[in-house]
Amino acid sequence: MAIEIFMPKLSSTMEVGTLLQWFKEEGDPVEIGEPLFEIMTDKINIEVEAYEEGTLLKKYYEPDEEIPVNQVIGFIGEESEEVPSSSPGLSSDSSSDVDDSEDTREGAEENVASQPSGEVDVEQNEKVRATPAARRVARERDLQLSAVAGSGPKGRVHEKDVVHYSEENQGKKITPLAKKVAENEQVSVDNLTGTGANGKIVKDDVTDAIQSATGSANTSSPKKKKLAGMRKVIADRMQESVNTAPHVTLTSDIDMTKVKELRSQLLPTIEKQTGLRLSYTEVIAKAVGVALSRFPSVNASLINNEIIYNEEVNVGLAVAVEDGLMVPVLKKVNSKGLSTLTKEAKDIARRAREQKLQSDELKGATFTVSNLGMYAIDAFTPIINLPETAILGIGRIQDKPVVVDQTVEVRPMMAVSLSFDHRAVDGAPAAAFLTEVKRILENPFELLA
Amino acid sequence: MREITYLEAVREAMSQEMRKNDDVFILGEDIGVYGGAFGVTRGMIEEFGPERIRNTPISEAAIAGGAVGAALTGMRPILELQFSDFITIAMDQIVNQAAKLRYMYGGKGSVPMVLRTPAGSGTGAAAQHSQSLEAWVAHIPGLKVVQPSTAYDAKGLLKAAIDDENPVIFYEHKLLYKTKGDVPEEQYSIPIGKADIKREGKDVTVVATSIMVHKALEAAEELEKEGIDVEVIDPRTLVPLDEETIVNSVKKTGRLIVVHEAVKRGGFGGEIASVIAESEAFDYLDSPIKRLGGLPIPIPYNPNLEKAAVPQVPDIIDAVKETVRFK
Repeated sequence: MAIEIFMPKLSSTMEVGTLLQWFKEEGDPVEIGEPLFEIMTDKINIEVEAYEEGTLLKKYYEPDEEIPVNQVIGFIGEESEEVPSSSPGLSSDSSSDVDDSEDTREGAEENVASQPSGEVDVEQNEKVRATPAARRVARERDLQLSAVAGSGPKGRVHEKDVVHYSEENQGKKITPLAKKVAENEQVSVDNLTGTGANGKIVKDDVTDAIQSATGSANTSSPKKKKLAGMRKVIADRMQESVNTAPHVTLTSDIDMTKVKELRSQLLPTIEKQTGLRLSYTEVIAKAVGVALSRFPSVNASLINNEIIYNEEVNVGLAVAVEDGLMVPVLKKVNSKGLSTLTKEAKDIARRAREQKLQSDELKGATFTVSNLGMYAIDAFTPIINLPETAILGIGRIQDKPVVVDQTVEVRPMMAVSLSFDHRAVDGAPAAAFLTEVKRILENPFELLA
Repeated sequence: MREITYLEAVREAMSQEMRKNDDVFILGEDIGVYGGAFGVTRGMIEEFGPERIRNTPISEAAIAGGAVGAALTGMRPILELQFSDFITIAMDQIVNQAAKLRYMYGGKGSVPMVLRTPAGSGTGAAAQHSQSLEAWVAHIPGLKVVQPSTAYDAKGLLKAAIDDENPVIFYEHKLLYKTKGDVPEEQYSIPIGKADIKREGKDVTVVATSIMVHKALEAAEELEKEGIDVEVIDPRTLVPLDEETIVNSVKKTGRLIVVHEAVKRGGFGGEIASVIAESEAFDYLDSPIKRLGGLPIPIPYNPNLEKAAVPQVPDIIDAVKETVRFK
């Protein structure tokens, strides 16, 4: 019997996953443990391995589609087995590779109940909307109705659409796979000669055409890349933040003289304890954590018109990774020492770059620190990581002339930029918070208190 | 050919038959000297006398019961109900007796009677005198249901109804009585169960009954100016229904609109739409079937509201346009 492949539920809150890519084509043999497809949850990318061997019989979804958890997305089985032509819905056996199966099923059911039917993936999953006459003509001419663009309301296919399509594609027989490849790559099949039975165009014909086209005409169009995967998540989240949260950015300069002293004194101690070098990031995170514990209104989350004053102070650290950005979280920053923070910060940053974070390490931040100090950047306008209330942007530390006690002195100054969500907090408390951060960093020994 | 009114055509059909067939007689309220509520039998008592043009007490139950008894014993009665709304009072005689007796007697007796009655709104007669209840009787096995829309059809169908061995409910329409049409002087019969294509067209089939045939034809003329070619079919008889003609038309046009004056909910349009959905014409449908019918309200007395309660020409035009939008 063919075995269902479904969207795994990777956390208790996961409701949908985005299919990033298939590693197998329909008809490919699959071994147990081979990566089958890659998905992305709200923050993490994961390759899902096959847990059955056989042939990949069916793929119901294409990359970039959002799929509810436990939705059947394909079948593995014997080569000749019949499987439904569209996804049969939720998996009947969704517990096999999910550890908390009970929770999963409940979650899945709720999830389905809350989804208006038909909203899931309308284009791919819904039966073709076509009039009886259109269906008859498609049947008579042996055409796939799904390939015909409907001109009626809600894309309903009418008889004339089928006739039109059939006349346009007269004599062009094409396998569904070849057609899909051609559509995805936006290749016209009109001028292709099929090498399959009776001149049917097969996938290879299309890929050959793509290769010859890119070989000869690659000067004509720039390289394009679809907004997908992590890029898409970042795009959506940034867009949402800018669209919904009125951002105000405050900037200030912080005298880092004493932090420098503190760091140089602690550096050998911590290196001895952990083998890791204390960096400014950890000191800043600690200072921010302490300041946040004194300013609950900045350590808040705005969710569904409710301001939630978070009890824990969890600071997200924006980490640049290949082609993207991740924000792993340092939990309970205010109550941890610099040595612990150094260990944790280095660990999550390294694993973020290797894309090996667990999904719960990406959750629960109540504030974010974004450090561009390694570049020639002073102030900037960071975008808030919703539902957090604020984000602190760190610029470079640069020696600057400052007036201290009526004399000009050279001091290591660091530009900081605090963007806050003006829905949740006002300018005065945000400014007071930033002033507190400045005060702590300019008197860092209080962190030891 | 000679032009006479629908009313005159009905009267002529009865008079011509009564002259040669002594078994035929008419009974109803005030059909004698007064000539009936709409004057259909005016002058007939003078020709045929009070024995054959029988005034009855004001009891539709008695009229219908008397007719059933007369028919069973060999007469061919035509009974007139002043308004088709009052069929409610005659319902037991019609449904439980007239429709059933031939079957209950194993074919040894039959009920060859015609119940003539005017239906429809448009005369300002308000809620109790304006209904179109033909779907009620169409539901009863054993009754034939006829709804002529023209003078020609009225004469030919009434002849066929009188000749029929079974009870026939013959719905006239109050507003059609004064409409004129070419009608042969001699007797003729139009088979019950044969629809008439009142207008040929290729884009959409409009099946309309009774007065809606005329509204559909008017709409078709308007639509022709916009290049929409409407076929108008008048089933003429609801029972038996000429399914073949409608199916063939829909196979040709791929689109169907059904129009009747009766309330749309539970109306006979649902039956016609279902017949098509179940037929081989289904595979030719290229647009959803549309039904136009009366609103689910009592017919208002106010003339503007009365018009608004039933389909009018612009409604048919709109429905056609929506249906052929994807031509």
